[in-house]
Amino acid sequence: MRVTRLRWLVLAVCFVLLTFGGRMGVHLGSYLPTFACYFTGFDSYGGACFLAPLQFALAAGSVDGLLKALLYVVIAILLIIPLGSAWCGWVCPFAFVQDVLDLIRRKLGLGYLRFPEGLREGLRPVKWVFLFIMLLLPLWAAFPILVPSVARHLNIPFCELCPVRYIMPMLTGRASYMGVDLENATTIILSGLGVFFAILTLVLSLFKRRFWCAYCPMVLVLSFFRRISLPKLKKDVQKCTRCEICYNVCPMDVEQVFKEREKENVTFPDCVLCLACIEHCPEDDALRATWAGKTFFRSTRKGFSRRRKIGVDSSKK
Amino acid sequence: MGKRKQRLLRALGRSAEGVLRGLEEAADRPKQLDYFIEVMRAAYVDDCLAERLELNEPRPKVVGIYCVMAPEELVYAAGAIPLRLCGGSHEASCAGDELAPRDACPVVKSALGSTALGAPSLYELCDVVVVPTTCDAKRKMGEELAQHTEVWVLDVPHVKESEGARRQWLEELHGFKRDLERLTGNRIKRRALKEAIAMLGRAQHQARRLYQLRQAPVPVVRGNEAALALHAFAFDRADRWTEAMTRLNDELEDRVRHQQSPQGAQIPRLMLAGAPSIFPNWKLPNLIEEMGGALVTDESCVGDRYLYDPVGAVENTMEDMMVALGSRYLMPCTCPSFAPNDDRLFRLRQAVEDFQLDGVLYLVLKGCVIYDFELQRVEKLMRELGLPVLRIETDYNPEDVEQLRTRVEAFIEMIQENIQQEGGA
Repeated sequence: MRVTRLRWLVLAVCFVLLTFGGRMGVHLGSYLPTFACYFTGFDSYGGACFLAPLQFALAAGSVDGLLKALLYVVIAILLIIPLGSAWCGWVCPFAFVQDVLDLIRRKLGLGYLRFPEGLREGLRPVKWVFLFIMLLLPLWAAFPILVPSVARHLNIPFCELCPVRYIMPMLTGRASYMGVDLENATTIILSGLGVFFAILTLVLSLFKRRFWCAYCPMVLVLSFFRRISLPKLKKDVQKCTRCEICYNVCPMDVEQVFKEREKENVTFPDCVLCLACIEHCPEDDALRATWAGKTFFRSTRKGFSRRRKIGVDSSKK
Repeated sequence: MGKRKQRLLRALGRSAEGVLRGLEEAADRPKQLDYFIEVMRAAYVDDCLAERLELNEPRPKVVGIYCVMAPEELVYAAGAIPLRLCGGSHEASCAGDELAPRDACPVVKSALGSTALGAPSLYELCDVVVVPTTCDAKRKMGEELAQHTEVWVLDVPHVKESEGARRQWLEELHGFKRDLERLTGNRIKRRALKEAIAMLGRAQHQARRLYQLRQAPVPVVRGNEAALALHAFAFDRADRWTEAMTRLNDELEDRVRHQQSPQGAQIPRLMLAGAPSIFPNWKLPNLIEEMGGALVTDESCVGDRYLYDPVGAVENTMEDMMVALGSRYLMPCTCPSFAPNDDRLFRLRQAVEDFQLDGVLYLVLKGCVIYDFELQRVEKLMRELGLPVLRIETDYNPEDVEQLRTRVEAFIEMIQENIQQEGGA
């Protein structure tokens, strides 16, 4: 359980620092490639998601704004390279919220829900849709050539839809965000959907591990850099027995890791580098995690047994 | 007791005792092996497994299991005792001849013979037997067994990869669980299943320890001994077996430390691939060791593959444990009844590396079409890896032992020459 414990610790610390750090004097700005919600408030967050300011910058419609947007992207990339998808597995405050809900489920003795492959495949485009909404609609707001009355309200369209924007601010006492914005038809639709997604996410996170992450555009953005970011998940295909344990313990239901029979690099797009698969893999060196090519964690049968408190070999003198 | 049954019991006991005596005659056998010899003796020679297992009143239900797909964890969690019934006796297979087509494999014939005559009586001990639908012969055997005893057929999908198959398999296990609950009258509770998984986890851990100890550059245990110790799990309570196996492993670990070996370093290291050698059919394991080879591993479902894989439950919710059991008993299994079965080739490749193999004996039990089918792929793989393969087709009849001896001897000599040449070069 060592890695799981460590990850819980890091997640919890990041949750507190990023959500409430502002109150303790931590100010990392809103440049982070992780869902530390911007709307928890300047006075509260210690560091926030770069997607909100990115959309604001795009919606500004000026050269200045576009340069600013570029700056946000560049900073995000520089932050993504050393940690890769570990931002999702180890840092994201909303991941922490989901994992807490998941823990509640376990304590209640309830099993997890796993969507069938067909449904998962069908829902795969959702995060692409979110990404396009995030990048294109602010530009429409900036240059409202068509239907300006609608475009005017699309400065931060993704945030309006994002469930995190409705859930996290509640934790910092900004409950006013939770609700439908009745200002006009556009805001009603966007915030109505947002509230719906928020409720859906809260309920389903109790049953489906990391429910939101499957649709999160940040997971998608991070996956674009999985080849050049430094941490990677690697597999020795010969040592793998295809026992399927890695799939069962994967909160993201990444199936390809156990199915892979050729490639060494198994950092698949949905992987959040939580390393649970390595932790529970019973084959020596079948799975390992590397950082800049150096292995820092590998699977062992001994580790598998130890985590289950089995076989501290009796004869050891 | 019928005359035929008595005759079969006597004949069975004689040949089983022959094998066990043979093992006992090896003065350099591990001391801790004797426990496993006694388990086998109780099952086949003294025919007193009921007493050995201490099935006291109220007698727990006994569940007979064929193949390796029925999760014994569920059986234990329901408060029942599992016994593994796949047959290896020549005498029983003769008795089963009339109950199965001529071309059926001896495993099935032996099981049918033993069930029909109730000898050894551990077959009569079972309140129900579980027959997974693996190969054709086993599937039809299930049908025939139903004349003599209650049979539960466990529908094992033959294509592991598809999601539908895996979901159906999970359903099947839920059905198996319900059946066990009905049989025993005990509801399988979360805690009981968790404990059963942990208990078998300890057994699997020891089996894996043995697996690793046998990878030592100098063999510390003979193959016919190690295989017997693993096989004994079939007729023992899991916790007792684990204790005995822990002691055996400790002894072998000492041997590794002090570089004690019954065989020496230069001995050809062989794998017995293909169909399983099931006790008391110890023909090939004995021949390999007698003819100067070290049988360091096999891929038998009563041997190295029996307890190799662990159950990877994490959450210990009922659903999670069932999913973990479903995965354990389906996915890593390399029985040739699955198709496609490339997983097996990956396992073999890894075994060649882990055990530093010099050659492979490939057992085809007469009538076992599926292992024979895969021979070509295995031969191709071994050619690629530079390992000779000897195909041996036989059944349980001891008559061909001398003939096989010559072939095994020649094969091992050839490998020995190769090793010496390489050593000299």
